[in-house]
Amino acid sequence: MAPDHGDLDLVRAPRPMSDEAKARWQAAASSLGERSAYKKVWDLQARDPDVASLSVAGHTDEATLELTARGFIDTLRSTVGVGPDDVVLEIGCGIARVGRPLSRECLHWFGADISAEMLGHAAARLGDRPNTTLVELSTVGLQEFPRDAFDLVYCTVVFMHLFEWDRYRYVEEALRVLRPGGRCYFDNFSLDSEHGWNVFMEGARYPLERRPAHLSMSSSREELGTYLRRAGFTDVRVHDLPNELIAATGRKPD
Amino acid sequence: MDGIPPVSPAPGGPDPRVAALEAELAAVRRREAEFRAKMVHEFLDRGERNTYLHVLHEERAELIKRQQESFADLEDLTRRLEAESARAAELEAALGEVRGSWAWRLAAPLRAAARAIRRKAPAPAAGRAQVEGGVFTYYLHTSPFRIYRDPRFTLRGWAWPQDGRAVTAVRVCIDGRAFDGRHGLEEPEVVKRYGPQPSNPRPGFEVTFETPAGRHSLSLEAQVEGAAWRRIMATSIWCEPRGR
Repeated sequence: MAPDHGDLDLVRAPRPMSDEAKARWQAAASSLGERSAYKKVWDLQARDPDVASLSVAGHTDEATLELTARGFIDTLRSTVGVGPDDVVLEIGCGIARVGRPLSRECLHWFGADISAEMLGHAAARLGDRPNTTLVELSTVGLQEFPRDAFDLVYCTVVFMHLFEWDRYRYVEEALRVLRPGGRCYFDNFSLDSEHGWNVFMEGARYPLERRPAHLSMSSSREELGTYLRRAGFTDVRVHDLPNELIAATGRKPD
Repeated sequence: MDGIPPVSPAPGGPDPRVAALEAELAAVRRREAEFRAKMVHEFLDRGERNTYLHVLHEERAELIKRQQESFADLEDLTRRLEAESARAAELEAALGEVRGSWAWRLAAPLRAAARAIRRKAPAPAAGRAQVEGGVFTYYLHTSPFRIYRDPRFTLRGWAWPQDGRAVTAVRVCIDGRAFDGRHGLEEPEVVKRYGPQPSNPRPGFEVTFETPAGRHSLSLEAQVEGAAWRRIMATSIWCEPRGR
């Protein structure tokens, strides 16, 4: 099935945000110096359910969440494939925006996030999905999971919030927890797109001392491809997605 | 990316044996995926148990630390006892010499007269009459057998008289000076283990007392049914403030 480009645009949150929502988002922001304290930063962002939705998806209504998630699942299908027998892990699942619809299309969906507050919202949204499991990560990495367990590991709209070393750490960990032959998918926005440049300039406009910890930071094609190759993935490909995101996919050697 | 390897179709249509094998392969693949999902869940469960195990390890480390501190106190007390025993032996030897001396023998009639006078004189008033010992079932959460480093100490525990009467007050006496405590504190684990105590449904107590430097006698006492005080236990204690 071809990706629905119109839906995918919503992932970038172009919708206008209310002043009140913006104010709450600003109030929940940590300073850039705390960027590595992911648990603290994201627990703070996730205390308010609306702020949690805004910060991970850019919108709050359930219909839009479902629509953007569908768009992303189409991307997964067209890049790495999704099968009914797949055991799937999402890194940084947030409020389970993707996990909720994806769990209908795979054997079991595991959602991992470093923020217990986010997982609280996710649990509320997954009450009617028995084939889902949420796991709170203690720190950067997937040490909570065994090796050779998953058919598919993906991470979407997360890398922009991580430092580069931590991005690579998740790629390495994905290799460990995937079964031989398992597939991976990682995306981020690219600096050399219009959207990417706008986000970059938005960050540049912040006064130095008021840069928030969750400020989005881009990736390049070379960066994502290098992570996957260095980690040991094969069949590494970097995709230019229609929504100006770039994604790297790969396969764990047999 | 993954898929069932292509199988050459048999001439004249799909071979039912191939179709059966493909179905079997699909079933095996699903069972294998289910097994992996179950494996992840078991791994996660074990992780949670490990977290509890971590708490137990922390508690164990704390207990070992306390045990080591107790051993250090015990060693210190043993050395003091040895030193005091040596000093007592020296004093005994000196006393023996005095008793064997000509002057001691010469003063014997005077000492006898003094003893006779003392027998006739009334006994000096005691600071506090010593209470009788009672028979209690008791346990002390904070052991009194230690070197007291802080200016105050709180003795916590639980007790009841074995004759089934009610404890109506608890105190600690340090060299006869009384420190009143609180009693009637909840001890659900004790009641669970020993069964309900009708006269003492809440057998817990705590008494805070001062620990001035030096050697003292400590007596933990309970008042039974608003009347007589009875001793639960008594011991000598040694208080030595930090930095000495």
